[in-house]
Amino acid sequence: MRSLSFMRVSIWVYLAIFFAYLLGPLVIMSITAFNSPEFPRATPWECLTFEWFAALFQDERILNGIKNSILVGAGTVVLSVAMGLAGALMLTQIWPKLRATYYTIIIAPILIPGVVIGISTLVFWDRINRMVGLGADSFLSNGLFLTVIGQSTFIASYCMLVLVARLQRYDTALTEAALDLGATHAQAFRKVLLPFMKPAIASAAVLAFLASFENYNTTTFTFGEYPTLTIELAQKVRYGITPAISALAFIIVVLTVFAALFNEANIRRKDLVAMARKDATVEELESGKFRVPGFLSSNWAAVALVVMACATVVVVGTATVYSPAQCIADVQEQKRIETELRIQELRQRRAEEAARKAAEEAETAPKPQAAPSGNNSGFGGVFSPNALTGSGEEEESKAPEAEDSNNSGFGNVFAPSGLSGD
Amino acid sequence: MPRFLREFFNRNGVGMGSLMLALVLFWTVGLIILPQLSMLDFSFRPNLPPPEIGGPKDVYTVENYKYLIFGPEGGSQDYNAVDLRVFYRTLIAAVFVTLFNLVLCYPIAYYLAQTKGNHIRIFALMLIIPYWINEILRAFALRIIFGETGVLNNALVGLGIFDTPFDFIRNDIALYAGLGYAYILLMIFPIYNVIESLDRNQIEAARDMGASWPMIHRRVVIPYAKPGISSGCTMVFMLSAGALAAPQILGGPSSLWFTQLIYQQFNDNSDWPQGAAYAVVLLVTCILLVLAVMRLFKVNMGDIGK
Repeated sequence: MRSLSFMRVSIWVYLAIFFAYLLGPLVIMSITAFNSPEFPRATPWECLTFEWFAALFQDERILNGIKNSILVGAGTVVLSVAMGLAGALMLTQIWPKLRATYYTIIIAPILIPGVVIGISTLVFWDRINRMVGLGADSFLSNGLFLTVIGQSTFIASYCMLVLVARLQRYDTALTEAALDLGATHAQAFRKVLLPFMKPAIASAAVLAFLASFENYNTTTFTFGEYPTLTIELAQKVRYGITPAISALAFIIVVLTVFAALFNEANIRRKDLVAMARKDATVEELESGKFRVPGFLSSNWAAVALVVMACATVVVVGTATVYSPAQCIADVQEQKRIETELRIQELRQRRAEEAARKAAEEAETAPKPQAAPSGNNSGFGGVFSPNALTGSGEEEESKAPEAEDSNNSGFGNVFAPSGLSGD
Repeated sequence: MPRFLREFFNRNGVGMGSLMLALVLFWTVGLIILPQLSMLDFSFRPNLPPPEIGGPKDVYTVENYKYLIFGPEGGSQDYNAVDLRVFYRTLIAAVFVTLFNLVLCYPIAYYLAQTKGNHIRIFALMLIIPYWINEILRAFALRIIFGETGVLNNALVGLGIFDTPFDFIRNDIALYAGLGYAYILLMIFPIYNVIESLDRNQIEAARDMGASWPMIHRRVVIPYAKPGISSGCTMVFMLSAGALAAPQILGGPSSLWFTQLIYQQFNDNSDWPQGAAYAVVLLVTCILLVLAVMRLFKVNMGDIGK
């Protein structure tokens, strides 16, 4: 018994570690989207800010990337769902001896590295282009066309897998019946097979769009003049990262969670309604008294969805009126003071070292004559008390002013006020 | 017209049948087979400026493959040590990432498949959500964590475990974590699908006979889940060996991934045939490795993708 509870605990610990690894990075990235430092970081927390979202929506390249991604995604969805459906139908009809070979061929693109697909697409269509005798700016070497073609090569395989799973439950007698009743093949396809396949086609289309939207390996070779969002992101991430990218990621995370919860809430609701119908008596159903369970009743996904929607409204509302200027100013002030202290410490240390050296020199050699004019020591009047009152940048410019009052070798380094600083 | 073709048109109608056939042929021949053959052909040709392609200088050569093994002609070294080491390191690292994912995901897949309840659906949702986020953004998230002033270093230094920040990126820890992270779902789902169909009675029976937990897994669950495990491992291995985004973002400055070499040949050196040759080498090696391992564990190609 004890070993069983020990096992339970270890399972939960393992699950916790696993999901921390899976979700932790996303949570931390989302936090950095609201933190004010220029470099995305979650710690130390400085100020709550929404400026990175503003920066994101002003970024031309990101917006252009989103537009290209949607174009490519639409093309890929159409082409790969069509090819996937044709491929799946063919798989159910093909000559048994060819079946294994055919399956290997259409499943292979999933396993071929995306880089290889990108290269082979580029090389192949470049060659076709040359064979046809078109120029370098023809339709066949257009970035949009190449990207759609390249992505569809393997996304169609995903679609095929989704569609085949549903097609296996299709009763071909239905099509035959339609044909016997005088439907043409096209009609039988459109009115019988297509409605049956509709849910699978919808999920294949969603899958295809998502796969296209996030593809990088293939697109990076084929995009040409049409960088997609992923390409733009990769270039940004490689050459300097800003929290604006975290802001974009946060938006995508929120949208994803919304979509997932919405989908889940719908499924749960269907289940609940079906269950309520099953439990209801015949009279209830017939008299119309049957009550469909409410959207929120015992449906955690729906509750979570509503809570999240409210939270989003609150956050957006706050964002429009909230201004982090004061907080940012405070943090900057604090940082300035910290930097100053650090500079001061450094200077002090250097001065002490120089003093020690000078003392050693003074011991070995006769003390040199006093400086001919004003201050020619390396440290100037930096350490004079009034030099420290200014801000970091002003410090240097103020130093010369202090010069005339200070002509000893080391300034006022050893004056008590020089060390206190404020 | 051959008999099977006539039957095909009889069953699908001439219009629908030709449309179907055209789409399938376009996909299999036009998008899968010909481009791969074209790349193979291209990799055996010299790098020529466009006007000279097809001219007298455009002859077959193995120069591009020789370059990978022996390096530039007249070079100081006998072998192209840099590129070969990158190639070798990529394969070894991909194997380790695959094993790491398998060890990490097998218990989760088993737990999800064999437990019933509402919380399982929540777990499934939590599994899928990271997978919907862009690959680049996932790598970016890990870079924030593993960076020199990242959360992890702040925590470790703050707790006093390290005196100075540890450079996770230069030591490739960030890269391996990122690759493992990227393909978790592809490991879990095939295993989950197979284990879900395993009859619980088999496990109960084994337990009644006095088998210990490790024994039950070794003798009952793992043999049953073999198609799923091999399918997951194949996908994770191929994808991590062919990954480009994670190495570019999370890789150390001094350590390259083989796909990055291919990328450089294409984009920085403009030497397409050389890049194509490297791509062919990567593809063929990966396929041979996967086939060898599948033969070793007696798994069929048809099990992949189920």
